[in-house]
Formats: sequence, C-alpha cells, structure tokens
Amino acid sequence: MIELQAAVSGALNGSLYALMALGLSLAWGFLKVINLAHFAMILLAGYLTFELATSTGLSPIATIVVTAPLMFLVGALIQLGYERFDVSELNSLLISYGLLIITVQVVTNIWTADFQRLPSEINPFSAESLAVGSLRFPMPTLLAAGFAVVLVVAAALVLGRTYAGRALQAFGQDREIASAFGIDHRLLGVLLAGAAGASAAVAGMLFPIGGTLTPDLPFEWIGLVFAIVILGGIGNVTGTLYAGLLVGATSGLVAVIWTPSTSPFVVFSLVVLALVFRPKGLFPQKGG
Amino acid sequence: MLQVTDLDVFYGDAQALWGASVTVGSGEVVSIVGSNGAGKSTLVNAIMGILRPRRGRIVLDDQDVTETPGHRMCRAGVAIVPEGRRLFPSMSVEDNLDLGAFNRVARAHYEESLQWVHTLFPRLADRRSQLAGSLSGGEQQMLAIGRGLMARPRLLLMDEPSLGLAPVVVDEVFDVIETVRDEGVSVLLVEQNAQMALDVSSRAYLLAEGRVVMDGTAEELAKSREVRDSVLGL
Repeated sequence: MIELQAAVSGALNGSLYALMALGLSLAWGFLKVINLAHFAMILLAGYLTFELATSTGLSPIATIVVTAPLMFLVGALIQLGYERFDVSELNSLLISYGLLIITVQVVTNIWTADFQRLPSEINPFSAESLAVGSLRFPMPTLLAAGFAVVLVVAAALVLGRTYAGRALQAFGQDREIASAFGIDHRLLGVLLAGAAGASAAVAGMLFPIGGTLTPDLPFEWIGLVFAIVILGGIGNVTGTLYAGLLVGATSGLVAVIWTPSTSPFVVFSLVVLALVFRPKGLFPQKGG
Repeated sequence: MLQVTDLDVFYGDAQALWGASVTVGSGEVVSIVGSNGAGKSTLVNAIMGILRPRRGRIVLDDQDVTETPGHRMCRAGVAIVPEGRRLFPSMSVEDNLDLGAFNRVARAHYEESLQWVHTLFPRLADRRSQLAGSLSGGEQQMLAIGRGLMARPRLLLMDEPSLGLAPVVVDEVFDVIETVRDEGVSVLLVEQNAQMALDVSSRAYLLAEGRVVMDGTAEELAKSREVRDSVLGL
C-alpha cells in the first residue's frame, strides 16, 4: 500500500514539475531558445506571491491576478531581447543562465537566504488533505496537479485547434518558409514567450502554497525539469505532462523501495536510455 | 512586374551573387537555368526576402521591396515553392494548404483558392487529412505548389520543382506550370532540368558562378553553345 501511495503522490508532485517544464519546452521547441530565465520567473513569482499574500492578507491563489500578467510581460520582454540581438539557441542558454544567477542574487538580497513560509491563516491549503480510501493527498499537491493538467490541456488545445497555434507549429517546423507565407514570427514568438511567463507565474505561486521558499530552489528544479522536457519530447506539451507523471511516480516508488537518494540515479538513467533509444521523446507526435 | 537590378548577395563573407539582374513580365514564365551551385536558389530566396541582399534593388510593380522582410512579401503577391518542398511535415495536407493562405489577402479568398488547388491536384483532396510527411514525393511536390497557390500570388517562385521526381510526375508538374500561367500568374522557374524549363518559358537567364552570363528568349538559350555546354550536357 505504501508503494501505491508513494507512486501516486510522486506522480502528483511530478505534475508540478511538468508545469514548470511546459514553458521551457514550448520556448525550446517553437522559438529555439533554451530559456533558463524561466526558472528565474518561477522563483520571482513564488516570492511575489509570498509578499503579496502576507502584505495584503489575500489568498495566495488570488495573487495570480497580479503575478500572471507581470510574468507575461517579463517573458515577452526577454523574448524581444532575444529577437533584437538575434540570439542563437546555445547563446540563449548562456545568457539566460546569467539572468537566473542575477535573479537568485536579487531575491536573496530582498528576502534573505532564510526559509520563507506563508503563515497558515493566509494559506489554509497547507493543513488540508483529501483521503481516498487509505490513500491521503495533501491539498497543495492536488492544487498543483489540477493547475498543471488545466494548463497543459489548454496549451495543447490552443496549439492544435487554433489558427495561431497551427501557425506556431509551422514556425517550429520551418521558420523561413513559415515566414515566407506571412507568419510574423516576432509577434507569435513574443505572445508564446509571454504565455510561458504566465505559466511560470502559476508554477511559482504553487511553491509558497506547498512549502517554504529559498532563493536557491531553481538549482533543485533544473535537473528534473530538463529530464521531463527531454523525456516528454521538446515542444510536445502533452508529452511533458506524461513525462512529469512518469518521472514523479518513478522517483516516489524508488524512494520507498530503495532510498530517496537512489531516485535521481534511476530518473537520469531513464533520460540517458531515452536519448539513446527514443531521442524525440517517449511520446513522439505523429509525422515529424 | 518584377525587376531585379544588380543584386549582390552574401552568405556571411562568401559572395553568392554578383550583380544579378532579372526581369519577369506579367503572365510570363521565365526560367533561370544553370548548374548546381550557380546561385539560382540564392536569387529566389533573395527575392522572397528570406535572404537580404547587400546591394542592388528588387522592384515589384513599381514598389521597392528590396528591404521588405519575408512575411510582408507574400502580402505583396509573391509566393514560393521552395527547393526540397519544405512542407510542414507533421501537419495535415489541409493544414499545410491552410497556412499557405495565412496572409490576410489570401485568407479572404480561401474557399475559392482551395477549390482551384483541388481541381489542379485532385489527389490532394483525397488525402486532405493525411500528414504531409507521409505523402509520396510527387504528392509532396503538388502540395508544395498548392500551398504556394493558396497565397494567391501574382508571382510564383518555383525552385527546382522537378527535383527527385519520377518522369511522369515531372510532366504533370510542368503541365501545372502552364495552367497557372494561363490563369495570369507569373512564374519565375529555377530548374536544373533546363530542357523542360526552356520548353515552358518565354525567356530565360543562364547563371554561372553567381553571375548572369546570358539572357534572351527561351529558344535562343536552348540553341546557344553556353547553355548546351554547361547545363544541357549536349
């Protein structure tokens, strides 16, 4: 039974990582930028959620009204910068790593390196949980999973069913030719980067709801999130969710069957195997 | 309708075109022949706005479009059938055609254009929901031409449309070029298959090592020693 609990809880946790991977994967797949600043936006959104909720007494979920548009703007501005200076894929990785380091430092200066936790009267979710039979799920994890599923499904629908989404797909497959048919990549790119930023705001909000904040959290996320992006297939949104659930469940199971310190070993072995045998991800899209 | 004057195009520091001048009149098929690496595709990509020329002028219907980026050129009435087809492989035939009509002018005529393309290539109608990447080479070329026509161009740039196709399909492609011309679309045709290209063209240019070395009527070029030596291999 403990194995089942570990696997399901792990999968739910994994969905939060999938939510973080979503924006990264979209920008990488469609805009050819590896935007580590995505983690900076998640961190910043987490602290802003904390700050807004504690100073106004609002529910942390309500702060999204402020953080999502703000991060949309930040994401869009960073993309404009990449466009303006014609930054290549590899250089975007280096530049955004710099942006991430700067953000971590700024966050440390403002909020200190100490743990920050929302007071429980503002964050009612922290103590709640849902029992299903003998399984028990903390409310913050369920919230994270709910947001992740909603955003991934929304992203998949926009990409597959709307005209702008198809234009983006075309752009991801052949940017020169897409542009020759009138697809203005700048506008689409900025909108996509903005949407990725807004998704970072949602992911960021979930951290103070679920636990404590420290400025060096991004360095704990990067490895797992990249693993999920690669396993899911770069630019494949539903694949990202499946990969998140898989990685989460695997980590959870390994942690109870062996020890928690073995899970990264198993997860990254999985990534290496995937890169050898399924380089386009575990859940390849048709055609391609 | 198209006047290209003294075009210099570079890839980084390497010059690919030296002072190329080409004109295409209304309702005319003009071909650019020349061997591999002569700069034919470079010329087409520069006209489309995919490459930016370093010197020279491109004028379309009295409007200077030298600096116009690719995504505006198609609204100005130019569409491309690129070398190697370059379809959107993981999208359906229908979506590929749909994206061909992405620009606002073409969008307004979507149904009409789709009907036209389906009349020209009935097979595309049968395979509308199939993925572009899963089509045969000939069908892919038809889709590439169809996608170009969906943009409702007045000038269609066709880059090596017969490359890698079976002879029967090549004939079909050249028939379509004539049909398209008869409907009033000008065509600038880049081809290694010079014999067939000259057959459907009124005028032609011979490109060698990035320079226009000869121009004239298609007949003149077909008979000339230069063309026979360098491209026709006679």
